[in-house]
Amino acid sequence: MTTDMLSVTGGTKIFYRGTLDERRALDGLDVSLKPGDFCIVIGSNGAGKSSFLNAVSGKLPLDSGRISIDGQDVTRLNAHRRAQFIARVFQDPMVGTAPTMTIGENMLLAELRGKPRGFSYGLTAARRARYSEQLAELNLGLEKRLDMQVGLLSGGQRQSLSLVMAVSTRPKLLLLDEHTAALDPRTAKLVMDTTVRAVEALQLTTLMVTHNMEHAIKYGNRIIMMDTGKVLVEIGQEEKNGITVADLIERFHTKSDAIALQGA
Amino acid sequence: MDVFNSFYGLIPVTIAQSLIVSFVVLGVMLPFRILSFPDLTSEGAFPLGGCVCGTLITAGVNPFLACFIALLCGFAAGCTTAFIHLRFKINTLLAGILVMTMLYSINLRIMGRTNIPLFTYDTVFTILAGPSANFPWTKILIVGLLVALVLGAMLYFFMSEKGTAMRAVGASPDMAEAQGIDVGTATIIGVGVASALSATGGSIMVQTQGFADVNMGFGILINGLAALIIGEAITGRQTILRQVLAPVIGSLVYYQLISFCLTLGLAPADLKFATGAFVLLMLALPNLRRTGGGVQIREKIRE
Repeated sequence: MTTDMLSVTGGTKIFYRGTLDERRALDGLDVSLKPGDFCIVIGSNGAGKSSFLNAVSGKLPLDSGRISIDGQDVTRLNAHRRAQFIARVFQDPMVGTAPTMTIGENMLLAELRGKPRGFSYGLTAARRARYSEQLAELNLGLEKRLDMQVGLLSGGQRQSLSLVMAVSTRPKLLLLDEHTAALDPRTAKLVMDTTVRAVEALQLTTLMVTHNMEHAIKYGNRIIMMDTGKVLVEIGQEEKNGITVADLIERFHTKSDAIALQGA
Repeated sequence: MDVFNSFYGLIPVTIAQSLIVSFVVLGVMLPFRILSFPDLTSEGAFPLGGCVCGTLITAGVNPFLACFIALLCGFAAGCTTAFIHLRFKINTLLAGILVMTMLYSINLRIMGRTNIPLFTYDTVFTILAGPSANFPWTKILIVGLLVALVLGAMLYFFMSEKGTAMRAVGASPDMAEAQGIDVGTATIIGVGVASALSATGGSIMVQTQGFADVNMGFGILINGLAALIIGEAITGRQTILRQVLAPVIGSLVYYQLISFCLTLGLAPADLKFATGAFVLLMLALPNLRRTGGGVQIREKIRE
């Protein structure tokens, strides 16, 4: 049996514990991903999708439960230490890149993710050549604009850059947090296509949060539906083939109604 | 023509002064622009550097060593401000004010009185230049070389692997953390270095003016901010070279302007008001120009 690339067991995070506002963001969450899994996470607002991603990335320390990446327990590592395993593309194109720095500098920051940084000169000629090559694959002309400030790029260009930055280091785990939600449909498709190409070419283990049911069906090999901080429904590879949006919504409602009835 | 003659005669003295203060302006720029950490510690770190250096020199310590110890004290002050902000989630400005206020007592304790004259002691300048130490051009040469050295070091650092990471912390902390950068440590070191620069400015200042005084830092921060804004208006901020040059160029221009206004007859008492009004105007200008700017920014995100 191969080790899971990501394993979350009993992940629990409670906000405002012991007050009237107590809210269970994660409630005994169990998820495990095999190497190469491309898992889509769906669920309504407040279901815990973002908390799940933040817990994995280390931004949200768990109250209880364990997280391990490729067999290594990372539960107690903070976010910047976990970055050696994890790359992340944020929903907001403004957050995932450093807007006042150049494209080349952003690529440099990503290349050294989780590696020791020294006092030697950053953007060497060799690095610039390599970044140009990596960016050329996007067909956006970014490879010719290494010295341009990222803030001057459009949202789509920035998300594409974010994506290249994330995958260029072949992370053990790729987290995509509704990374096409802020883009117009045409640009969203472009970024999504690039995502799929990179994930497949590099066999990256990926967690993608989305509100887009079409995307959930079209991409990836697994679907996780979350509700109230738990996994409600899991749909595996075979089942996922040929499933429709209506099926997904149907299954989601049946299950959550069943739980509601049990509770009553 | 009298006015111009007296202004003209003051130019070298003013250049020397502005070069010294450019350390403070660099110390204002670094947290404010590079780390997005508006910091007021400089106002306390500048006299701290002066008081430590002055006290040590009168105690017979080598002036170079005294400057270095002053620098270390400034570093500690800056680290304290950053730590207070990070650990207790206290607003950066408030953290700076707290440290600055407490430093006033510390400065008094260090000196034991409010003022120490240094005229009779050896300073860095008398050691390096002997009897010509008091000529403005001697000071310009020595301080100018030091400023050039610091600028070169800063420029190289901000283009190095570590320096790029520090800039990322200010540009986008979430992104920096996701790239494995320890945001807290980078902030503490960055703000520490900024205050170390301000303290260095203070330690040089006491040696050129011949005395150390607890009140010597009063208003230095707003002067620094004004100089920074002028400098950025001249050099722009597009590249790290421009950003690092702005404080020094701004300081050189700002103090000439002040000197010019004073010779024209501006009462020294009105100086702080004039400076404050100027900074306010410069900070408000972008908002006055584009009404409904929020909409424009949103448009940009959606390309």
